[in-house]
Amino acid sequence: MRPGPLAALWWTGLRRNLAMTASVIVTITICLAMLGAGLLLRAQVHTIDRYLLGQLEVVVDLTDDITAAQRTDLEDRLHSDPAITAVRYESKQQVFDRFRRDFRGSPDVVAGVGPEDLPAALRLTLADPRASGDVVVSYTGLDGVEGVRDQRALLQPLYRFLDAFTIGAFALAAVQALASFALIYTMIRISAHGRRRETAIMRLVGASNGTIRAPFVLESAVAGVVGGLCAAGLLVAAKILLVDGQFTRQSTFPLFGWSAVWESAAAVLAVGLLASAAMASLALRRHLRV
Amino acid sequence: MIVLDAVSKWYPSGIRPALSDVSVEIAAGEFVFLVGPSGSGKSTLLRLLLREERASAGQVVVAGRDVARIPDRRVPRLRRIVGCVFQDYRLLPNRTVAANVAFALDVIGRPRHVVRSIVPETLELVGLGEKAQSYPDELSGGEQQRVAIARAFVGRPRVLLADEPTGNLDPATSLEIMDLLDAVHQAGTTVVMATHNAALVDAMRRRVLELSDGVLVRDEAGGGYDTAPVPPLATALPTAPATSPPTSPPSSAPVPASAPSSARIPVQPGPGVPGTPGVPGAPPSPWAPAPRGPVG
Repeated sequence: MRPGPLAALWWTGLRRNLAMTASVIVTITICLAMLGAGLLLRAQVHTIDRYLLGQLEVVVDLTDDITAAQRTDLEDRLHSDPAITAVRYESKQQVFDRFRRDFRGSPDVVAGVGPEDLPAALRLTLADPRASGDVVVSYTGLDGVEGVRDQRALLQPLYRFLDAFTIGAFALAAVQALASFALIYTMIRISAHGRRRETAIMRLVGASNGTIRAPFVLESAVAGVVGGLCAAGLLVAAKILLVDGQFTRQSTFPLFGWSAVWESAAAVLAVGLLASAAMASLALRRHLRV
Repeated sequence: MIVLDAVSKWYPSGIRPALSDVSVEIAAGEFVFLVGPSGSGKSTLLRLLLREERASAGQVVVAGRDVARIPDRRVPRLRRIVGCVFQDYRLLPNRTVAANVAFALDVIGRPRHVVRSIVPETLELVGLGEKAQSYPDELSGGEQQRVAIARAFVGRPRVLLADEPTGNLDPATSLEIMDLLDAVHQAGTTVVMATHNAALVDAMRRRVLELSDGVLVRDEAGGGYDTAPVPPLATALPTAPATSPPTSPPSSAPVPASAPSSARIPVQPGPGVPGTPGVPGAPPSPWAPAPRGPVG
């Protein structure tokens, strides 16, 4: 069908079904806004990860009596571990220098410590910085290893907090998605009933199945896109009002930037369009005989 | 054009078959009446031709295609070559006459310039050029049926199925509609018309297929509505003589005397134009199949 007549069919359907379409849009908006919020929280976690990547590491402290063979053996194992991307050796002197630098604000602490007091160490960069637990367990207690410290563990409460909110947002999005699907299903049923004369005639004069379904799918897809645009608007508003307006001043960590907002908005729009069109097609199988 | 070979149809809930071992062949360009009491299987037969239903047994062939074997996605192509008219017109009330007819072309993806030229042309053919912008509820029953015929014919189908097209119309209007269907037939379209209108069948003297309880009980060329001989009345119909057997004028006509004058209207291209379309020897008929690309 040409776009003109298709748009005309869509428009009459919309006028006939305005209240239903409005409620579908509202539900989709909430659903997609929650989805977008979840994506932004994940983006925030990644932002923090990136920020801390060079600062907090897993450190394998070596015993003072480690033999050259033991150290070579240990380093070989670390190098061949897929979870570890880089291994850097720090001698006792280097560890001491770092210690002095980290605690330069506290001369009292530095004063009581000499280079010999601190263990030499292997500093590890992990493929997935958040999967440090396994690495700690694997290398603790090996010959020549005094201990494995995960500096990231200090941040676990923060990560747990962000994770909880991310999961909560996604769960709400899922519940809203179910509601949206139920509403789209109902909208299609009502719409198919309202259009039954038209579809009967379309069938009769030999319109293809795709043509007969097109106005319904369009109706649902437009609702999905409008819902997606509203949700994207909410994300932008949240970035301007909440993130930039409130949190920047309070947070010690950097916050996600605009690129994360645009990525989430694009994802939300795409999901809105595709999921609503797919749901409409599914409902049509049930409610429209072609 | 249409072949039914030992066709039977049982509906899941039916206690007896809707159609039982029906075999019939309808050639291209034929005009066939399908008669029989309500529930005798006329509508079922038409539904089989449209692949609205599938035969339970036997084979239905339309325009060379075994209808049961057409894959679902090809069924629309079948319906583009088989036009359809119903007793209840089935027009869209919120669209004008022209828009109703254009709808049939729009939804099969015809380009706009084609729609713009064929629709007014077809409305002229059915005598509704003046009413193109009216809405169906502003029209009489006969006019609405003409719109329905225009919609069925606008895609130039090879077969036109009419399911009691005059069922809701008075005798005079029925004649007008009959004229219109006859003009469609004269243009080369195969027409199958299911009807209860005895007067029309008797007057037209075409091939009659009679169904009774799903069984084809009569296949008579030039037959009447009933098996009993009926005096031919073809001259009561102004556009029928070319194809009706020559007869002497009837002593009594079963249709109102006023019918002929009004019945002429629909098939005249316009006032004052001589010649009735469809009559051999008349000027080229506007009903002739248009060379507008394939319909199948």
